[in-house]
Amino acid sequence: MATIDIITRVDALCKKYEKYDVDKHKQEAMSSSDNYVRLFSQIESDLEVAMQKANDASIEKNRAIVATLNAEVRRQKTALKVELPKLEKLAYKKVKGVPKEELAQRPEQVKALAAKIDAVPDGVTINNRRAQKGPGSIREIKIDAINPEDIMLNPEQYQHSEESRGFRQEFEMRKMKQDEGLDVISSGLATLKNMAEDINEELDRQAPLVDEIETKVDKANADLRNTNKRLKETVLKMRTTRNFCIDIILMCIVLGIIGYIYNQVR
Amino acid sequence: MANLEEADKALKKADKYTKVTLTRWGPDFEKATPLYEKAASLYKLAKNLEQAKHCYERASTGQCRTDNKWLGAKHLESAASLAKELKQWDEVLDTYKRAAELYNEVGRPQVAAEAYGKAAKAIEAERPDEAIKLYIEAISVFEEEQKEGLASDLYRAAAASMIKSKKYEDAANLFIRWGQACDATKAVASQCKHYLSAIIILLHAEDLAKAELCYNDLSGVDAFSNSEQGRCASQLLDAYHDKNVDDIKYIVKDSNVIPHLDHLVVRLAKGLPTGNVIEMKKSANKTLNMKDEEEELGIDEDDMT
Repeated sequence: MATIDIITRVDALCKKYEKYDVDKHKQEAMSSSDNYVRLFSQIESDLEVAMQKANDASIEKNRAIVATLNAEVRRQKTALKVELPKLEKLAYKKVKGVPKEELAQRPEQVKALAAKIDAVPDGVTINNRRAQKGPGSIREIKIDAINPEDIMLNPEQYQHSEESRGFRQEFEMRKMKQDEGLDVISSGLATLKNMAEDINEELDRQAPLVDEIETKVDKANADLRNTNKRLKETVLKMRTTRNFCIDIILMCIVLGIIGYIYNQVR
Repeated sequence: MANLEEADKALKKADKYTKVTLTRWGPDFEKATPLYEKAASLYKLAKNLEQAKHCYERASTGQCRTDNKWLGAKHLESAASLAKELKQWDEVLDTYKRAAELYNEVGRPQVAAEAYGKAAKAIEAERPDEAIKLYIEAISVFEEEQKEGLASDLYRAAAASMIKSKKYEDAANLFIRWGQACDATKAVASQCKHYLSAIIILLHAEDLAKAELCYNDLSGVDAFSNSEQGRCASQLLDAYHDKNVDDIKYIVKDSNVIPHLDHLVVRLAKGLPTGNVIEMKKSANKTLNMKDEEEELGIDEDDMT
């Protein structure tokens, strides 16, 4: 089957089952000229987004992400609640082209919508329930200064209970662990300090040596350059001197030959 | 072995150049020396150390005759290190000394001192006393030249030798000398460390009186008395005063500064306290003419005037 055939078949199927297409209806609702319908569908879609976020929050393990999602949900709920009165006003308006039953239904729809918004879990209600089911501890935990009179008046408040004993033990243990850790850090720091001091001294010792090397190398460099120049001059001079000598020798030979020939001719 | 043959050839040629013949009125070291050097390195590769040493010595004589004492001394040093491999200790000593003399002649006493140091290191194992003497000579040369900063390695090696031969007082004195050298180069941290090491060595040698005197002298040095090491030293001495063995052990174990000293000194410190603390205290008191606290109290109680 060719691609174009598949496309036409798909189009036909879509048209057949159009009335089941929720998204399309929603879009129609959005672009509808009826203000109420538009606002209603908008609030519904926002509510769906909030529900989605609430679902994500309930399955999320990372507490930070849960907190962010819950905050988002709460924000959206308040925003939607602000929109609701507008929707109510529109609901009571008479609109052309809408049957009377539907108009009567609208206020009901608005109320149902309000209930749905409230039902979106946003992390607050769960805690409340937990607090109510919690252990029936009447004792409050107060943090304040110890008053000597208070000790006499309410001795039972200053006695060790099991909880506070366990708490104190944990506190001592953690303090010990921290002390051990601090000891390790301190010995490491001492080693670092020692090494840094040694490095410091080495550098102090070597700095003047490097300076000396620099001056010596500079001097050697200058000497070398001088020597090179003098060498070049000497070589040039020698060449010219040599050429000069060769010139003289050749001249002598030529003169000798001329003299010999002259003698022969005479 | 190809190297051996080549070396033999080079040696023969070089010897020929040094012999006096009709055409040559005196040994020709200019030509001979490079051949000797080549022969020496080839012998070394062929692991014939005896011949290599011999060649190096000849090469060195050659260099000296051609007014190249520096290179001559360097060759002697190579010869000496080969002698060390051959375990000819007397030769090692002699050769290094000759090398050092040559260096001195060329006007480089520092290098001569370093040659002494190398000699000392070579014979350390067999003749520690002589080694120590050489080290001290080398160190003195550096001190005269005011270049003590370069002598740190020598100090360390000398101290190690002394501790190994159990010359504790000498070692302590050396550390104090080292501390003085550090003072000249303003290496304060090292200085304090060396002073502390000196005190620990004296305590290890069970000489509480000397340790106290030492500490009293050293606390005049500002840098030391304000330093961690100074505090540690005073704590140790207090613990010895109180005859408290556990305290001494605790100070050494928990100290921040003791683990960073030279490892031989750390080993000594871990062995503290040595001997009987109470006996030490008594003998220390006698030496320092101090009255023991209990005796003093006794006198005060009886004296009513």
